[in-house]
Amino acid sequence: MSDMTEIDTTDIRLVPESAVGQEVAQTKSRRWPGLSVLGGLVLVLALLPLGISGSYYMHVLILTFFYVVIASSWRVVSISGQFNIAIGAFMGIGAYAAAIPSVWLHWSPWVTIPLGAVAATIVGALLAYPFARLRTIYYAMGTLFLGYVVINLITAGGKTTGMSTGLGGVEPLFSDRTYYYYLAFGLMLVSLACMYRLEFSRIGVRMKAIAQSHQVAASVGIGERRNRILAVAFGSFFAGLMGAVYCHYQGVASPNSYGLGATLWIIMYVLVGGINSFWGPAVGVGMLLVIPEFFFRDLKGNLPYVTAAILLIIAFTMPEGIVGLLKAITDRVSRRFRRGEVSGDAP
Amino acid sequence: MLLETKGLTKRFGGLVAVKDFDIQVAEGEIVGLIGPNGAGKSTVFNLITGVFPVTSGRVLFDGRDITGKQPEQVARLGIGRTFQLNPLFHEFTVLENVTSSFELHPHSSLFDIFFNTRKYRRNEAFIAERAHEILHVVGLERVADELAKNLPHGHQKMLGVARALATRPRLLLLDEPLSGMNPSEIDTSLEAIRSMRDHGITILIVEHNMQILRLCDRVVVISFGQKICEGSPAEVRANEEVISAYFGADYVC
Repeated sequence: MSDMTEIDTTDIRLVPESAVGQEVAQTKSRRWPGLSVLGGLVLVLALLPLGISGSYYMHVLILTFFYVVIASSWRVVSISGQFNIAIGAFMGIGAYAAAIPSVWLHWSPWVTIPLGAVAATIVGALLAYPFARLRTIYYAMGTLFLGYVVINLITAGGKTTGMSTGLGGVEPLFSDRTYYYYLAFGLMLVSLACMYRLEFSRIGVRMKAIAQSHQVAASVGIGERRNRILAVAFGSFFAGLMGAVYCHYQGVASPNSYGLGATLWIIMYVLVGGINSFWGPAVGVGMLLVIPEFFFRDLKGNLPYVTAAILLIIAFTMPEGIVGLLKAITDRVSRRFRRGEVSGDAP
Repeated sequence: MLLETKGLTKRFGGLVAVKDFDIQVAEGEIVGLIGPNGAGKSTVFNLITGVFPVTSGRVLFDGRDITGKQPEQVARLGIGRTFQLNPLFHEFTVLENVTSSFELHPHSSLFDIFFNTRKYRRNEAFIAERAHEILHVVGLERVADELAKNLPHGHQKMLGVARALATRPRLLLLDEPLSGMNPSEIDTSLEAIRSMRDHGITILIVEHNMQILRLCDRVVVISFGQKICEGSPAEVRANEEVISAYFGADYVC
């Protein structure tokens, strides 16, 4: 194949050589500040209960940890090109698979919580099989109705599911909220680590390849159906797990928490934070859940309007979400910084 | 025969896109599949690679019946292909386009990947090294970190070929590799295709551009879904049926 080396590549370079070199140097040096910010955040969150123990803020943070995992699990499904509008339903499956044996059979939460996660995974994988035939908007519509079906089944479940009022009396895990805080925090760290590993390994590459072109992916041996089912099963596991823990925390499983409304909030967290970035969902949850609760509690009644305004501004000005915007800013700043450095070196 | 189709037929509703189509490709050959627009050339490719289910007929690869297999299974058996349009993972870098094509050799299991075992790391190191080699060979190494969508058209096509080569195919199906290329790019591509054959890859080309006749050992002409002629490039050029069906009366060779 030595003949092929003669191809003229001089016209291919779209960016000056020096700029490409900079890019590489930047990503290397940027990793360390990123890691230390992350480490600092983890440390602060780990020590925070000492200061705010038992307060309402603690509850908000527990919710935040739940939603960071659930929003991230939705994004994991989305990297394989599947816009799933049934994530709330999978939370619900996990919650009821935990709540029903807990309430009626008095099983220990330490059994029912894994049961909820496994149930959501299995149902997710089984449903993903037929749904793997649908793509793009048809997949979204299919899962939209799937979500409705699950909620309707729950409300039609009679005494077993508590119908539309929900199933109360789910046995709590702990009596002290601080334990819940650490449980949710720990689960979030472990879940995010698993998702990070998945996305940035070859499995994530396969999923992203399918999202871009299932035909090209198939031509190099990446099976579309198998990887899409895997994505849904993986995402459902974490959604189901968090749904199960959440209902033990609240003591009640209610269909309202798992309907279309819940799903749309989760999707909004991801879109606001940035769907193309691993940290997007966490940033989105922080923006839309934590900041209003901590700093704008007086707004409470007007919160939907504020949220709507934030969403519109983001949709129009930063289609890549907040993380996308931050990335663009840091790129520009560091490029200017580099340029200054280079000109400073010149005699 | 490395590839053989017997009575291949595809019906889309009332339209018969391919009818009773037989083709044989021997190991080490370069075979051209030519025909006017809409003759069913690309459909034949899609039937061989399992993108469309066949209506009737059989596809044999190396004596084995592969009719009805899924596209990724066909790829796994050693049939690589390029695409006429949309030949790439546009959001991946050039390098990632090639590395993601190493799914088959070597293959890492889900367990190995997720738990980052030694086997997985060794596979990944091997893949990265081989991908750079392939990019070096096709002359795209200098743009390895560019996004594929930013490449000019001719280089995107070349990357499509590089991606197909990374699956280490025994048979390579090229779908209009010359379309949209300028004369110098065409010369380079013809050279590249010939050297692939010299490296032991059997090649079946669908093409519009008559320059391809220079390259082929054998040519099959298809019109309205049926084979109308088969033979050496010189025979095909001389065949009257081909001239009237395809080239038109005014065609000057």
